[in-house]
Amino acid sequence: MHMFVVLARLAWRNLWRNHRRTLIMLAAITLGVWAMIFMTALMRGMVSQMIADGISALPGHVQVHHPDYRDDPSIANLIPRSDTELSARFVDAGFVKWSSRVRVPAVITSEYESRGVTLLGIDPDSERDLTFVDYDAVEGRFLSASDDSGVVIGKKLAATLNTEIGKRVVLMSQDPDNDIADRGFRVIGLFEANVQSFEENYLFAGKATVQKMLRIGDQVSEFVVLGEDYRDVDAEFEKVLQLVDGNVEVKRWFELDPYLGTMLGVMDGFVLVWIVVIFLALSFGLVNTLVMAVFERVREIGLMLALGMKPINILGQIIIESLLLLAIGLALGSALAWATVQPIKDGIDVSIVSEGMDMWGMSSVLYPELLLSDVVLANVVVLVLGFLASLSPAWRASRYEPIEAITKV
Amino acid sequence: MNLVFRLAWRNLWRQPRRTWLTVGAIMFSNMLLVFMISLQFGMYGLMIDNTLQAFTGHLQIQAPGYIDDQKMRQTVDNVVPLATELRDYFDSDNIAARATAFALVSSEERSYGTAVIGTEPAFERNVSTLPGLVTQGRYLGEQDAAEIVIGAALARNLRVALGDELTLIGSGRDGSFAAAVVNIVGVFESGLVDFDRSITEIPLGFFQDVFYMDGSGHYIVINLPLIDDVPVVQEQVEALLPAGEDLVVHDWDALQPGLKQAIKADMSSAFFMYGILVILVAFSVLNTQLMSVLERTHEFGIVLSLGLTPGRLGRLVLLETAILGVLGLLFGALLGALFTYWFSVNGFSYPGMEEMTAKFNLPARFYPQVSVLSLLIGPAVVFIFTILAAVYPALRLRKLHPVEAMRAV
Amino acid sequence: MSAVTCVDLCKTYRQGEVDIKALDHVSIEIDKGGFVCLSAPSGGGKTTLLNAIGGLDRPDSGEVIINGRRIDNLPKGELAELRLRQIGFVFQAFNLIPVLTARENIEFVMQVQGVPAAERRQRAVEILEEVGLAGLEDRRPADMSGGQQQRVAVARAIVSRPALVLADEPTANLDSKTADGLMELFRELNEHHNTTFVIATHDKRVMSYAKRLVRMLDGRIVDDINQDAA
Repeated sequence: MHMFVVLARLAWRNLWRNHRRTLIMLAAITLGVWAMIFMTALMRGMVSQMIADGISALPGHVQVHHPDYRDDPSIANLIPRSDTELSARFVDAGFVKWSSRVRVPAVITSEYESRGVTLLGIDPDSERDLTFVDYDAVEGRFLSASDDSGVVIGKKLAATLNTEIGKRVVLMSQDPDNDIADRGFRVIGLFEANVQSFEENYLFAGKATVQKMLRIGDQVSEFVVLGEDYRDVDAEFEKVLQLVDGNVEVKRWFELDPYLGTMLGVMDGFVLVWIVVIFLALSFGLVNTLVMAVFERVREIGLMLALGMKPINILGQIIIESLLLLAIGLALGSALAWATVQPIKDGIDVSIVSEGMDMWGMSSVLYPELLLSDVVLANVVVLVLGFLASLSPAWRASRYEPIEAITKV
Repeated sequence: MNLVFRLAWRNLWRQPRRTWLTVGAIMFSNMLLVFMISLQFGMYGLMIDNTLQAFTGHLQIQAPGYIDDQKMRQTVDNVVPLATELRDYFDSDNIAARATAFALVSSEERSYGTAVIGTEPAFERNVSTLPGLVTQGRYLGEQDAAEIVIGAALARNLRVALGDELTLIGSGRDGSFAAAVVNIVGVFESGLVDFDRSITEIPLGFFQDVFYMDGSGHYIVINLPLIDDVPVVQEQVEALLPAGEDLVVHDWDALQPGLKQAIKADMSSAFFMYGILVILVAFSVLNTQLMSVLERTHEFGIVLSLGLTPGRLGRLVLLETAILGVLGLLFGALLGALFTYWFSVNGFSYPGMEEMTAKFNLPARFYPQVSVLSLLIGPAVVFIFTILAAVYPALRLRKLHPVEAMRAV
Repeated sequence: MSAVTCVDLCKTYRQGEVDIKALDHVSIEIDKGGFVCLSAPSGGGKTTLLNAIGGLDRPDSGEVIINGRRIDNLPKGELAELRLRQIGFVFQAFNLIPVLTARENIEFVMQVQGVPAAERRQRAVEILEEVGLAGLEDRRPADMSGGQQQRVAVARAIVSRPALVLADEPTANLDSKTADGLMELFRELNEHHNTTFVIATHDKRVMSYAKRLVRMLDGRIVDDINQDAA
């Protein structure tokens, strides 16, 4: 231990001998670490938002369907159980954020136009926590009950259909016997979504009303459950598995949307690659600095060796010096990253490229997400790789022959 | 060889390790930039080509407002004669007319709402990839035949096969009820389930009869061999449009606003990363050159006292840096090109890429191509920053005082 | 028992195309408490002999015995340990670690040896006083004169009471007055602590302080005079 103190003191003082060089290197490390963490926070935010949007469209973390529903999302593949009975089980199991829905393809027709859409028959109370629609921001009003006779559509769809609040539209779908099931609805509300295609593709009507229109009695297309954190939904998944029985399929969100699912993994990989690339760019400068530092100090190193210091201690001293430099840079870089994320925590508006973000499946407001695990990852990777990068110059320093080193001019 | 150049060259090799490390940093970033930019440009090109060739085309002639609302009434009159005229004028078959409606498509068992597109069977092949994706049966034939081509997913969901009949129900141009019975002659498979479920095609002549189009359609697609020709052709087409008719020509950027923005959004994050990389390299060079100037203080003192001006010494330092930069540029661009070439033969992929790229009409494996632009743009920027980084050390020389400098060890 | 015994040492360097015999069958015995000057012109072999005695350099053949222990065949690690505990060094220049103060430079060796902090400090202050540098404990080498730096180096060399102090041209960078002061200090320490001193020099004034003067030429001992007796 005392040896470490000796070495650390020497390393620290040596670091500041050539303060200009140390400061330049420190600036580079700080910038690099800042970029590592800041960029990662932005990317994480993007992916989180994307997944959140994706899940709110899916929606839910865990879903229950008829086994054939995913390939054929039609009226024919309803959950072969009573909605009331299953719902009671979800309530008993203590689920808070969950909902059951009728979800079928339909055609909506106004006086002027027809469009293909996805009709969601929902219970507005249980849906509140799950949907991407903010009830209070709806122009007009949202559905008030499961047997509400109105329909809420997206603003974009309303514009295309040339319709507005108070006007009538006709919804057309099929009943289980493949007879046309249609019904007139009054448009009672227009919603906005932060992903444009949601405004075109989804419309909401009361679950009971839709069940009646489609003549499906007490059946629904899906049960959805929202957990605490999308990264860890296994607990909910297990619980739901216990609840349901019979011919149904229980899936987690990342199984339902492989694009979103792989996104997380790809992101983790990208973060690591990004950190390593930045480190490599830094490493040349770092090794250079150490080589120079050793080169300038050959005589001192010779002296210490002559006085009886062991080569391993010389090695240690150079490595400690390098790690000290990195540690300061990491601390500054991490702090800077934190400081720059703070003012934009509430979101950066990137709506100038909103349709492009839409295409990537992202919304037009970006919320950076500074994860402790990413900060730790960046710090650990830099320290570990920094240690490895310092080994070569440190090893060379420790291999000097004392008399040769000491007489070197 | 020029004496100053020889001096600069020899100075660099006084510290070969340091020189190599600095060149290495420049090389590393150049190599990465060449590869990344090649990959990126290649990807954007593919994204544009694949998206446009899939369906949209480079230019479309439409009624004003159709681009936003896509209403049945926003038509192009006498669409087929107009398309024929354009084909004759440009002596090109890559021009075709279309009409679009939304309809409920029903089999005996099932119904689905989809887009129904009327196409010119003889020319559609040249403006869309869909006819080539027909895996069972054939694409549409006669202009007026009661035929339909549907996606594999839709066929599965509707429980129909080649030769079966489907009923179309929708509304015509005037809002009146439109219905028809059609024969399935082909099934296509694009690999995107949602796409396969939402698009069906029928011959344009038949479409015009069913939906009471009275010889009109909704737009004419023009495909061009080179994307760079778009502005020129757009002007030519605008001049050719029949006088008195209210029509507009949209280019692909207007038709697919998401595409350019998605590229822009991706580019801005990529350029942030490249910027960081370049700045880190600049720091590395700054460090090296500052050290090399400082350790030569004594030597510079002697040269100054001999009557050399600080300005000339500064130029010497800049020349040394330029040599570093050129070495890094040559090796980096060369390695980057080799690296990219290897991937252009073997393809580039990463885990999860298949799921991600399918969303953007991209293949699961990229073959990035080296171009002059992608080869030079990154290294050129790095070179400029390398030189800029040497300005401070070079300027420091001006502060040098011969006597003091000579006293320095 | 003698402090240093060298038996038939040979060492050849290659300089460019030429082989230089730095040590050519050198045998010498130095008693405990001796104060020996090795004198030779440049390249005469005195530094090589000193380095061989200090375990810094390995002879091609022959034996080096310090305090009864043969050291020429010891592994590097044990040599380092030997230098740390039993031998003090004073070099011509660059004796001190520039980032450490005078006191820290002296404490450095003790710290590496593992001497407790309080004792270390006390001994450092005492020894600085002994070499006449009281009050300069917290100066860094750059802020001291050449003579002061060499005194710090001496203080460091003797602080852990080594049996043997080796000095290589310790006065080469000093003016004559400062050099005299340093040599008197050496003699004092030699008499006071009975520490054996071996000093390589080609400075006549330094030689005049020696009890025993060994002259070398071309790697051989050509003269060995006991000046004390004279």
